[in-house]
Amino acid sequence: MAKPQRKKKAWYKLDNAAMMYSAIQRENYSAIYRFSAVMTELVDPEALQRAIDKTMPRFPTFRVRIKRGVFWYYFEPNDAPGPFVKEDMKNPCQPVRFWEDNGWLVRFFYYGRRISLEVFHALADGAGALTLLRTLLAVYLRERGWAIPNTGGVLDITQPPPAEEGEDAYFRYAKSRVRRGMGERKAYQNTGTPEPFYTLNVTMGLLPLDRLRAAAKGYGASVTEYLSAVLIASILARQRREGRRRELPVALAVPINLRPHFPSRTLRNFILTVRPSIDPELGEYTFSEIVSQVHHHMRLHITRQEMQAVITRNVMLQKNKFLQLAPAPLKNLSMALSYRLVGCRPYSTTYTNPGAFPVPPEMAPHIQRMEVILGQSYTPRANCASISYGNTMEITFAGTVKETDVERDFFRHLVREGIPVKVISNREE
Amino acid sequence: MSYCVNCGVELDPTARACPLCHTPAVNPNQPVDTALPPPFPSRREEVQPVSKKELALLLSAMMGSVAVCCGLLNLFFLHSSRPWSLYVIGAAAMLWIWLVPPLVLRRMPLWIRLGLDACAVGVYVYLISIDLRGLDWYLGLALPIVLTGGAIVMALGLVLSSGRSILTSVTLIIGAVGLFLMGIEFFVDRWLTETYQPGWSLVVAAVCVALMVPLIVVRRRPALRDEVRRRFHL
Repeated sequence: MAKPQRKKKAWYKLDNAAMMYSAIQRENYSAIYRFSAVMTELVDPEALQRAIDKTMPRFPTFRVRIKRGVFWYYFEPNDAPGPFVKEDMKNPCQPVRFWEDNGWLVRFFYYGRRISLEVFHALADGAGALTLLRTLLAVYLRERGWAIPNTGGVLDITQPPPAEEGEDAYFRYAKSRVRRGMGERKAYQNTGTPEPFYTLNVTMGLLPLDRLRAAAKGYGASVTEYLSAVLIASILARQRREGRRRELPVALAVPINLRPHFPSRTLRNFILTVRPSIDPELGEYTFSEIVSQVHHHMRLHITRQEMQAVITRNVMLQKNKFLQLAPAPLKNLSMALSYRLVGCRPYSTTYTNPGAFPVPPEMAPHIQRMEVILGQSYTPRANCASISYGNTMEITFAGTVKETDVERDFFRHLVREGIPVKVISNREE
Repeated sequence: MSYCVNCGVELDPTARACPLCHTPAVNPNQPVDTALPPPFPSRREEVQPVSKKELALLLSAMMGSVAVCCGLLNLFFLHSSRPWSLYVIGAAAMLWIWLVPPLVLRRMPLWIRLGLDACAVGVYVYLISIDLRGLDWYLGLALPIVLTGGAIVMALGLVLSSGRSILTSVTLIIGAVGLFLMGIEFFVDRWLTETYQPGWSLVVAAVCVALMVPLIVVRRRPALRDEVRRRFHL
């Protein structure tokens, strides 16, 4: 009898952003983010599990485990049972341990009417994860007896996954003759008193999108630019209260989805960050000046040419022979150090806005709102993220810091501008 | 619906206080709804600390095999007249004591750990002295220096582990270095001339005191301390 052939596992390399996220993953840093959908009815966990089992095979880039090679980490398909839906907890976005939970790098939770998806950032960026969540919600609603079509960004789970969805798009577009980036100034670090191990304080603000849009329009800015400016103003006020002799610039890391600029269907990472900043040493800025500064910075620097130069620089680092030949543990150390210097030091915090979450009209009545949470930062500070659904904009501050002053100033500012805000939090009262 | 009187934001019906400024939510028309589920779960997921037993086992196996192989080579094949393998065995044993017990016994008190580490150094130097036939210098010079160093590190570890400010820590470390160097000169003098005539170590001790006194003054005066904190903040 012929010996059954052992099926070779198809492995693939990590993309440029994934390399950084996997190298810097630590027990007290979490490159995990969470998207949640608050439904109009209580969640049925069994239907949700069935939906996960049906949806995951359509998303092979999420059905992987991460392995350490001699020189680099790599992904290989994960055939272990799961991932299993779990009851939600108070401290979300826990750091990932590559060898635990059967190697799963995605997690699913439910609580009351909320369905949550947590993703390790090495797998995908927000756009990729939202595609998975949208399809999962459609399959879940079908399990609950509703007819949901495969339109409006819902993928057909009966179709085989096309290869383009697993593309490393950075590699394709690293073709610029010039390499840009590196060497930004140190920014105000905006750190506070750290909470005990594995505590993530989450504060969410819910506000009407039309009022927010009108307020942003009043300053001639987009919603992202306007909220970035409010955040910068809140952090500037915090730095001023500390009474430093020399104030540092306040700068945000704002991730930009590259797909509208460089056509790609990838569900993996394809983002870059821009760095709007205000230097208080130059003098006092009024709020409208901050908005104008952020607006012009974003419009000036989010260009195809400039971003391609940054992609090229990042990919060239990955192609550097000296770096390639260094063993993985050494590489992790050097990457962790460079992240501290280049990825952490020049920024006061992160603000990400994946924008609106579109769904087919048949799905819309079943979802009340969307939520997003960014995981624990490298230093004790709060990260900010926002997502909109229908006319509800949800803005989250999440971090391992005790103080609430930045989010307090942020939401108070919005209230002063005439935008009603509802606040919910998981903090102990 | 209730609003925070400080921030002007709407509060969740289950909130007892504003999450932003902690002002209690007092609304006689709508008291806090305790029947509604809170917006976030209250169940905290505790994470098990990573088991370090495997790493401890791996280190033990590595050091054990190196020690046994060198011992066998020394006994039967290479220069069996001279116990050269004691250097390797001693180093392996010392590294094992430094690295493995802290991995396995998480709750081991600091003073026991530091005491064991100092003893390991003492044993290693003893093995070297066996090869060099130098039990007299070991007992007269090396052992007292190792024990003094161990005692100073142990005391320093105990004092600093209870959480001292950077200024106090630096002051104590400088003091400990000065004390240790004085101890070295004392034992060296006793060993060489059987008398104690303090010389170079006093110069070092004077430098240490000169560094410590301003640090103590800064630590004691709040105005100076604030100034230093402002200028040297990270």
